[in-house]
Amino acid sequence: MEESKMGDNIYLPQLARVIHIKEEVPGERSIKTFRVEFLNGGGFDHECGQCAMLSVFGRGESMISIASSPLDKEFKQFSIMRAGRVTTAFHDLEVGDVIGIRGPYGNGFPVDDWRGKNLVFIGGGCGLAPIWPVIQTAVKRRDDFKHITVFYGGRTARDIMYRAELEKLRSTAEVCLSVDKAEEGWEGFCGFVPANLMEKAPSSDNAIAITCGPPVMIKFVINNLRNLGFQDDHIYTTIENKMKCALGKCGRCNVGKDYVCVKGPVYSWADLKELPPEY
Amino acid sequence: MERMLAKEQIGDWIRTLRGWEVFGPVLQDGVWSYQPADTVQLDHPNTAQPPKGFAFPQREVFFTFEQIKGEPPRLTPVAPKGGQQVVFGVRPCDARGLPRMDRVFTETFDDVYYRTRRGSLAYVGLACNQPPSPHCFCKSVGGSPVSTEGLDVLMTDLGDRYLVAAVTATGEKLMQAAGDLLTEPTGVDRSEAGRLRLAAITHPQRAVNDVASVPPRLKKGFDSSLWEDLARPCISCGICTFLCPTCHCFDINDETNGSTPLKGSRVRTWDSCQFPDFTMHSSGHNPRETLGSRLRQRVCHKFQYFHENFGMFQCVGCGRCVAGCPVGIDIIAVVNQVAASAGEG
Repeated sequence: MEESKMGDNIYLPQLARVIHIKEEVPGERSIKTFRVEFLNGGGFDHECGQCAMLSVFGRGESMISIASSPLDKEFKQFSIMRAGRVTTAFHDLEVGDVIGIRGPYGNGFPVDDWRGKNLVFIGGGCGLAPIWPVIQTAVKRRDDFKHITVFYGGRTARDIMYRAELEKLRSTAEVCLSVDKAEEGWEGFCGFVPANLMEKAPSSDNAIAITCGPPVMIKFVINNLRNLGFQDDHIYTTIENKMKCALGKCGRCNVGKDYVCVKGPVYSWADLKELPPEY
Repeated sequence: MERMLAKEQIGDWIRTLRGWEVFGPVLQDGVWSYQPADTVQLDHPNTAQPPKGFAFPQREVFFTFEQIKGEPPRLTPVAPKGGQQVVFGVRPCDARGLPRMDRVFTETFDDVYYRTRRGSLAYVGLACNQPPSPHCFCKSVGGSPVSTEGLDVLMTDLGDRYLVAAVTATGEKLMQAAGDLLTEPTGVDRSEAGRLRLAAITHPQRAVNDVASVPPRLKKGFDSSLWEDLARPCISCGICTFLCPTCHCFDINDETNGSTPLKGSRVRTWDSCQFPDFTMHSSGHNPRETLGSRLRQRVCHKFQYFHENFGMFQCVGCGRCVAGCPVGIDIIAVVNQVAASAGEG
């Protein structure tokens, strides 16, 4: 077969150059934000909540949520915690390096359905990144939404990502930060994110809740949201599972009959609770 | 199109298939496998491995890359080797694996590697007059010893001759190449074939009980303690998925063979849901951490999830996973036990 027939190749990534790297969180749970620009006139549009398969050639691919707003057309941004082989390779990159990128994959948050609603975001750890495009979109289209509240927590103050952006956000939204344990100089809430949520107890009236974080945090947050009166179809989360293809084929991200890479990663609790708890 | 072929002339037919690479079952060191063949003797029970590797090889290079740090890499897709391949002696159960893999690889996102290989592949099947294995259960999962699904040609062994029946247009072409080697069946040929087919279809087999009720019962039985009980002897070797005609899970990795400049290839290899790290996140969190959760995934994928998504079972009843399991985990027994327990109350 001639190579020309291989044109429509779902496994072949586009190329993008790293144009900016910012260290969000230092130390063992290090998070860096990478801004990339497509090469060769490439690119794609995405929705809030969608993901992309990023590669460092020679190290492999990893599914990462797109942390920039769909309204930013010039670049894509990804906040990546150093955890495994590929994410460690990302942390070793320098500005100017060229990576592979394919996508966008999965579904997005139904942001347009939420016009006129109060929005309550609850993030933990690097789980702020997947919901950050929604927060940015809500801020940019501020008149479309009513009250915006953002709960976010890190293990320690050093683990808080997007620190400057969160402070800036206070002008348009209520921002409730937390750290797991009291520490010197910390004036926000001390305790886990689900506890901070109960402490502030946002009203479920005309409200949508959007949460992402470690699996165990999501579990307690959803439980608390239901106790606060949020209906199951007004609670949204975005889940992650190990992925290799992002195309509904490689067989490892499934939760029951759903491949998270295709049917997810965004689920309402009304839909997610019908699936087995394999995430 | 139905024709007759004298058994000793099968090699003559194969020699007429110009432009086709021909494979047939070969016994080597006690193991049956599909090998390139000038002629075939179709007296095999079934091959140790199904023929799924023709469309979906165990290892496949997607593309090679060459990159100098800070510069764009050169990516070169590696196209599957061209040329048409025809496999003789495929059992009807194994052939049914192919349309199931088609659903996975060509719907939603079209996999050019699979589609290319699949598009140049033909199966010439052999009906099972006798079940080739004591673990055959094709009839439980919508198949039969004479099923034509996934085949291009079905041959039936009539002792000294074959009844050769075209299933697809490709099959007709393969038969047309044979010219005068293939003759018109007589009334005796047809009635003998009919008798053998009936005997094959009515031959007793092991069975999945009330298979239509299995998907909802497995759903109900998700939390059953039977999963861990039945999976306890499992050693996570993955032979069940390796030998399965429908298992398609895979891994993608970069293999490097030079660092300055960086040189290497992105490679797809078969993988298995039975391996403990298959679903493990880099954080260490693992959604399918236990043996039971992984047995449940294999069984429910075949008998519930795939059925919910595509309206068909992702099991063709070849019995290889039963025969090949070193600790005797038996998918028929597992499905029957879990479904029965979920049916109570």
